[in-house]
Amino acid sequence: MAIAATRAPVRQQSRARARRNALVGWSFILPNFIGFAVLTLIPMGAAFVIAFMEWDSYSPPEWVGVENFERLLGDQSFWIALGNTAYYAAGHIPLTMLAALGLALLLNKRIRGLGFFRTTMFFPYITSLVAVAVVWNMLFNPTMGPINQFLEWIGVQDPPGWTTTSAWSMPAVIITSVWRDMGYYMVLYLAGLQAIPQEYYEAAEVDGANAWQRFWNITIPSLRPTTFFVLIMVTIASFKVFDLIVVMTDGGPGRSTLVLSQLIYREGIRENRFGYSSAISLVLFLIVLVFTVVQFRIQKRKED
Amino acid sequence: MKRTLVSAAAITAAIGLALTGCSGAPAQQDDDGPVTLSVSVWNMEQTPEFQALFDAFEKANPDITIEPVDILADDYSEKVTTMLAGGDKTDVLTMKNVTDYARYANRGQLLDVSDVVESLGADNLAGIEPFDLDGEYFSVPYRQDFWLLYYNKGLFDAAGVEYPDHISWDEYKSLAEQLTGETGGQKVFGTYHHYWRSVVQAIAAAQTGGDLLSGDYGFMEDQYSLALDLQTGGNALDFGTAKTQQISYRTMFETGQAAMMPMGTWYISGIAAAIESGASTVDWGVAPMPQIDAGDETVTFGSPTAFAVNKNSEHQDAAKKFLEFAAGEEGAKAIAAIGVVPAFSSDDVTAAFTALPTDDLSVTTFSEPKDVVLEMPVSEYSSDISTILDEEHELIMVGDTSIPDGIATMDERVTGDVLE
Repeated sequence: MAIAATRAPVRQQSRARARRNALVGWSFILPNFIGFAVLTLIPMGAAFVIAFMEWDSYSPPEWVGVENFERLLGDQSFWIALGNTAYYAAGHIPLTMLAALGLALLLNKRIRGLGFFRTTMFFPYITSLVAVAVVWNMLFNPTMGPINQFLEWIGVQDPPGWTTTSAWSMPAVIITSVWRDMGYYMVLYLAGLQAIPQEYYEAAEVDGANAWQRFWNITIPSLRPTTFFVLIMVTIASFKVFDLIVVMTDGGPGRSTLVLSQLIYREGIRENRFGYSSAISLVLFLIVLVFTVVQFRIQKRKED
Repeated sequence: MKRTLVSAAAITAAIGLALTGCSGAPAQQDDDGPVTLSVSVWNMEQTPEFQALFDAFEKANPDITIEPVDILADDYSEKVTTMLAGGDKTDVLTMKNVTDYARYANRGQLLDVSDVVESLGADNLAGIEPFDLDGEYFSVPYRQDFWLLYYNKGLFDAAGVEYPDHISWDEYKSLAEQLTGETGGQKVFGTYHHYWRSVVQAIAAAQTGGDLLSGDYGFMEDQYSLALDLQTGGNALDFGTAKTQQISYRTMFETGQAAMMPMGTWYISGIAAAIESGASTVDWGVAPMPQIDAGDETVTFGSPTAFAVNKNSEHQDAAKKFLEFAAGEEGAKAIAAIGVVPAFSSDDVTAAFTALPTDDLSVTTFSEPKDVVLEMPVSEYSSDISTILDEEHELIMVGDTSIPDGIATMDERVTGDVLE
């Protein structure tokens, strides 16, 4: 009994300390969290509700149930945008990862001017997007652009029309976005490469492994956490692509590069159909969620 | 639990936003003493007509001060919509286009100003028709832009051809062919068609009597084949290049790369300024828009800009006074002096229009009677249809679809997806 009596204040004290620690912790997070809550969390939550409403931001919202989703199923532009988003992701994700890894491997060697090359590769990522789009549009110009002039010089008879044709506009956008993003992911891969202990390679060399074997059996497995992180980031970025397409082709010609986030913007901000636009954004959210969960599952299975 | 909280917060936020749109009748203040009148405008710095109007008005009404509310042009519609939804009290609202006007007026956000229209005389105001909502006016147009043909006199003289005086589209096409060539190592196109769909579609609608909201777009066929012929013949810069390189129509005309160019009257003040500052040395003139048959009455398209009074304004009398001034003869003279085409017409106003070249053809282009058809008719479907017409226009112009196929797709999408 006496023991219990002395223990109680101690427990109280420690609980008070824990609470104080928690409060201190929260107060550090709070400024950031308030911003996140007001600008991201609440609007996201609101989108879930507004998706079931008809709302033009002026008149009172009206509950319409799943009407927005029914409409979505019959909306040709939605299916085109969905297909285009998938097309973009299918090109952008693997090419960006390959280019980033390739560059990281090249620049992980001790060569003269290493810092210069690394910086150069990172430049596109920090360049203004509008400038990137304008310059690439010039490069892609079918008649006067250097890309087609080069293609003609190496003997291509009928070079593509790039952003002026619906067949080639998406590849043009993908090429531009890969060029722009590869530097950023290269930095992530470089960090991953530097974390691989040199001893692995030395041991492998002693065992007589050639360069390819070393790459395949040491570098790739050691990079798995980095690759996974890069994959998740590139996937999310691909599905959300908006800015580059808006400034480069604005979805055109026709609807050949119209993507989901652009359709969300159009329906919401331009046409004042916030309900319908929220419904589309929910679909996009689900797609990204499913892909991310699947990737996590696969990664986990590989680790086990 | 958490989810219900979030949704509750979301609904509260949504309803709160919607409710702030409603508010009671504004308190009217006595307008006898000095009054400050706020007026919503866009890109004040690059749109000199506003300053010209304000200066003239303040001079005529020393007890009223104008306070501009400057908004970025690209965000103008959205910003004003939000302002009105939030019960904003800005006194005078500039109506950038008729579609927005119809939206605000139908929501009851604008004051009935039929009395102002009546005192100015609806007949004197060009472009007044689309503002008529069942016999009532909630806005008065002060500016009426319409499309005409700009041409480079120097290039015409060099090619030894006559100026495009009331020509047909066939004559226009052969002129474009004759004027295409090279001057001083620079490629000269016979004409330049900007990439906006109106250059083809609105001209076709105005001159054939076609309706851009009808879902039946066969009337565009001739105008499309003309546009495509000109670009395949190398007599006009191709659409793909113009669009993807974001070509400036001003550069094309001011540097003499195009001998002709169909464009709106807003460009008059721009080119006049470029010549005055020495940025361009083009010897230019304007002619009426080419017609299907050369002898026809001039039919073209355009769109008016107007002022409206906010229903929440606390200075409604002063605001109406501003409307009457700005849309009337005094305001018209003030903006005509800087090369902007006023909606109000009179001989004095034409005389004040000094930015215009003084040759007979340019003057006739302005003073002759003409039919100016609204660029895009107003309906709840205008915006959706416009998006479809834009998309299919691109596909036809870059050659991804043939003209009949493109028009068939327009018909199908507008009828099936929008009009239903």
